[in-house]
Amino acid sequence: MTQVSVTPESFEMVFYDAAVIGEVVAEVAERLGFEETITLEIDERSPLGRSKITSYDPIELWVDGGALENTKRPRQFGTARARDTIGRLLLRILDRRSGRFNETPDDDELDLMQFAAWDVHCVGRLERLGIGGQRQRRLYQFRNRHGFSDVADAAFEQLWDSSELSWTEIERISGDCRTA
Amino acid sequence: MRKIFPAEELARDGRFIRQTNEQRMGDPRGARIAGGNSGDRLAKLTPELANGPDRARALMHGIFVGEIQALEGAGRTCWDFEVGEDVPLELKLDMARQCWDEARHCEISVALAEHMGTELGEYAENALLYEAACNPDPVLRLTGVNRALEGLAIDVFNTMKEFGNMAGDPVLEFCEDWMLADEVTHVKMGSDWLRRLTENDKERLDKALEFQKVVDRLFSFNGFRGEEDDSPIQLTRRFRELAGFSDDEIDEIADMSREARVEASS
Repeated sequence: MTQVSVTPESFEMVFYDAAVIGEVVAEVAERLGFEETITLEIDERSPLGRSKITSYDPIELWVDGGALENTKRPRQFGTARARDTIGRLLLRILDRRSGRFNETPDDDELDLMQFAAWDVHCVGRLERLGIGGQRQRRLYQFRNRHGFSDVADAAFEQLWDSSELSWTEIERISGDCRTA
Repeated sequence: MRKIFPAEELARDGRFIRQTNEQRMGDPRGARIAGGNSGDRLAKLTPELANGPDRARALMHGIFVGEIQALEGAGRTCWDFEVGEDVPLELKLDMARQCWDEARHCEISVALAEHMGTELGEYAENALLYEAACNPDPVLRLTGVNRALEGLAIDVFNTMKEFGNMAGDPVLEFCEDWMLADEVTHVKMGSDWLRRLTENDKERLDKALEFQKVVDRLFSFNGFRGEEDDSPIQLTRRFRELAGFSDDEIDEIADMSREARVEASS
């Protein structure tokens, strides 16, 4: 059973329950094959949707409160949104540990195009696992970074449908849109 | 059929969740605006922002529910007042034309939501626009809705049109441009009727302009709509002039925004 530590333990500005969040994170982690302890820090003051991996080993994640929020019901926890956010972060950790991403720059050196391309590859896999989705939303984000063109759409399909791309392949697919 | 239909009873299916003004303003993180949040120092909405596409999606959803409420409001104005006693027939004809425009905007917004990957009802709906359309005086109603809120719509549509242009998204850019053209007409209707119906009634004119200011202020959290380069929504002078705003009136909105900004940062 994956152990999850959530900070803070109680919330003042949003109606979140640390125990419920811990269960959702553990569920996603187990589906992805993690067995180690995960630490999740939440900035409840921010309704934005930013998220990042602050440590790969041990696993430490940081998110804005908004990244776990139900957009239909502001200040309430959204399970689907949380699965999507946590799932993307954990898949990035798995990718970096796989040996296929050894040449990947550090997270804070990635540009918006690279992040968008990697996110598409992550969310496509999450959808097939029944964890995430919102294909059209990801296509819109990808088009904003890679262009509203047939070339970009074909690149998106490839990233979304592939199961085990390497960083070199993701870079090539994304880069082909720059040169098109 | 009853007159002045309450906002709480507007028909919505299960996809839509209503957020009251109290809930919206009572959010300790700041009220939701411009696809972001007034508690944060929001940057100008551009595709280069990391959260730019998602903010555009949220803002577009806000526009969509605003179009539904604008349709409901214009429809109510056709029904709530008597020809001759309250309003001239021509005013009702203008509102009927606006209904047709808003219905078309709803359909365009639904198509844009699909294009941007947004589910209908994905974000909470606030009914402030329709509430402004419940004013029992037709002059105040048109001033609050057609001049203040549709005026804001001009600024929002122009911002979204520029977002589409910068992103190289022709679908968003052209849809916003077409809707923007209609909004200018709606604001012009408000400006024209305000002048015609208060021609010999200075007190009513002052009351209507005061109501407009109240509505404008309600939508000026943190001065998010302004003329500064980093204002999330840009105040659009040219289109407002075309819609019957005087330079003084536009200056006043810009000043209001600046003051709200200073107040927020202090």
